[in-house]
Amino acid sequence: MDETSIVIIGAGPAGLAAGYELVSRDKRAIIIERDGVVGGIARTESYKGFSFDIGGHRFFTQNTLINQIWEEMLGEDFFRVDRLSRIFYRGKFFNYPLRPVNAFFNLGLLESFLILISYFRARLLPHPEENSFEDWVTNRFGERLYRTFFKTYTEKVWGIPCGDIKADWAAQRIKGLSLLVAVSNALFGGQQAKSLIGKFSYPKLGPGMMWNRFMEHIVSGGGAVMLNSEVSALQHNYSRITAVSFTGSSTSGQFIPEYCISSIPIPRLVKLLEPQAPAEILAAADKLSYRAFIIVILIVDIAELFPDQWLYVHSPAVRVGRIQNFKNWSRFMVPDLSKTSIGMEYFCNENDQTWKMTDAELVEMATREMTELALGGENKVIDSYVVRQPNAYPVYDSDYKENLGKIREYLENFSNLQTIGRSGMHRYNNMDHSMQTGILAARNCCGETHDLWAVNDEKSYLEEDRSARERVIVPERVLIRVFARMDKLAFAVAVGTVCGLLVLSATLWIISRGGDVLNSHLRLLGQYFIGYTVTVKGGFIAFAYSFFWGFLFGWLFAYLRNLFLAVYIYRIKRKAELMSLKDFFDNF
Amino acid sequence: MKNDENTGQLVPEEKLFSGVLLLNAKVVGLALGIIFGLGIFVATNWLVIKGGPRVGPHLILLSQYFIGYKVTFLGSLVGAAYGFALGTICGSLMGWIYNRIAAFRQ
Repeated sequence: MDETSIVIIGAGPAGLAAGYELVSRDKRAIIIERDGVVGGIARTESYKGFSFDIGGHRFFTQNTLINQIWEEMLGEDFFRVDRLSRIFYRGKFFNYPLRPVNAFFNLGLLESFLILISYFRARLLPHPEENSFEDWVTNRFGERLYRTFFKTYTEKVWGIPCGDIKADWAAQRIKGLSLLVAVSNALFGGQQAKSLIGKFSYPKLGPGMMWNRFMEHIVSGGGAVMLNSEVSALQHNYSRITAVSFTGSSTSGQFIPEYCISSIPIPRLVKLLEPQAPAEILAAADKLSYRAFIIVILIVDIAELFPDQWLYVHSPAVRVGRIQNFKNWSRFMVPDLSKTSIGMEYFCNENDQTWKMTDAELVEMATREMTELALGGENKVIDSYVVRQPNAYPVYDSDYKENLGKIREYLENFSNLQTIGRSGMHRYNNMDHSMQTGILAARNCCGETHDLWAVNDEKSYLEEDRSARERVIVPERVLIRVFARMDKLAFAVAVGTVCGLLVLSATLWIISRGGDVLNSHLRLLGQYFIGYTVTVKGGFIAFAYSFFWGFLFGWLFAYLRNLFLAVYIYRIKRKAELMSLKDFFDNF
Repeated sequence: MKNDENTGQLVPEEKLFSGVLLLNAKVVGLALGIIFGLGIFVATNWLVIKGGPRVGPHLILLSQYFIGYKVTFLGSLVGAAYGFALGTICGSLMGWIYNRIAAFRQ
């Protein structure tokens, strides 16, 4: 096989979006996928008629184009779901997003009070430098709230102490904290963002249904999706990818790509290059790490176990991090409504102790932990299934930026190679961001010029989306004008001068009119302006006094005006940070 | 000014305060003119409505500057016109001086 076309490596949301865009532009796209199904880490697996999502993928986006594509793909099979998810901590269920009254009753009066004290302490005495995730959260919510709601779960997800996670990970994930967005929302309204918290869209048969439609669209448009095929090498001449070699279940061969788009983990991509990448780049690739993920499906002979779509398990006594209840995402995820399938999710590293556990051991642990959590159905587990997902989450450790930078710089030497998606860019993108990188990469293949690394970089990403741009970026210019500081000295001089001139003019006017000048009521000013008389000399003395007082008044006015605006902005920022606490874990 | 370590751009707080306010001298003049004019109009008519043996013995002193002004309804209109003119001049002058100094300092 020897064809010229655009080769996409990986059929996850990003790769499929790239393929979709290419066939829409009458380009031939060939997608090579290692798995037997499309969707990557957002695929839907099935077992004995039970469907399950690898990690729980809500469909929501502020990008109108992506939303349109989703709607177009599934139509009526894409419906809105009322969200219900809670945090399980200290044997109690906390509403999630957090609700103050519920949290107060669950935590108790004393603990709530201590959290408040801790919060104000953090506000008054913050860490001077925010280097880690721990510093970042503590500065915003206080030490006690951090330990209650953030530490355990975050460490379960990442497997490293919060002090070792870079602060910019939080800053990238929590978009709502942007000051400009917060101020803009406060002034012009931000209802769309709020509405996203309580509802989301979901395909009738899980995300896999969406990706299958994408595959059908690509194939019917003249493209190809090669399942169970793995790229074995990317030959290059140091400036272009010249060939993509692959091996499939029944065939192997090579493509001569016009362009190559990769969504596979970037360290793997580097290792596929022939001739081999320089040692420094290979070393950098080795240092980039991904968090893996195991989901243990337990099929329980109970119709209703709990009403949530998922639970966050913060309790340090168990290793499970999140529990999915697939039937509550879509009732079509189970073949028999009298049974429930739950997914016990364990975050781990590839080849660590958890990863190496046998399926039987994992099922035993999941069943035991379900019992410990007293969720019900302990003795009613009738079947189970285990899925291991490597490379699920790119890890933002202290060196990742430097290592990623080296690799990016090296890969930029290849004019026809682009990397997309979460794994491909080692970037914590959601589905919509990943798909957007795929679409933009496809457009780049058609002659356009887009910076894929700007996607999910707040400002630039928003610029891609018209509605978001109108809501945030356009007002940014206005906001800068509205909140421009007043020049205190200039205003003080202006007010002082005008006041001085007024009194001087009034005095000179009375003198010029003649008459009983000495008995003019204006002389009463002498009670305040010592030395003032209704004379030319007195006029200048009054000018000096008036200038002085006018100057003071003007300076104070400008100072207070600037101060009140700063306080207003500070309040908006604090409010945005507290709002972000409500749905903090949605950003994981 | 604080800059982002990675991008070198201004941090959002600094960005919001990066501009210096410039006044529209005409608008400041108009606003101050309306305030002065309305102030004199209301103050005069308040005393007219209150009435009494001597209406506005102190406010009448304005007539030393505003020729034709009296503490009557008609006088309130004359005073309002003077007040508007004076306020407009003062406001415009204030705005002009402010803008010149602010621009110079930038």
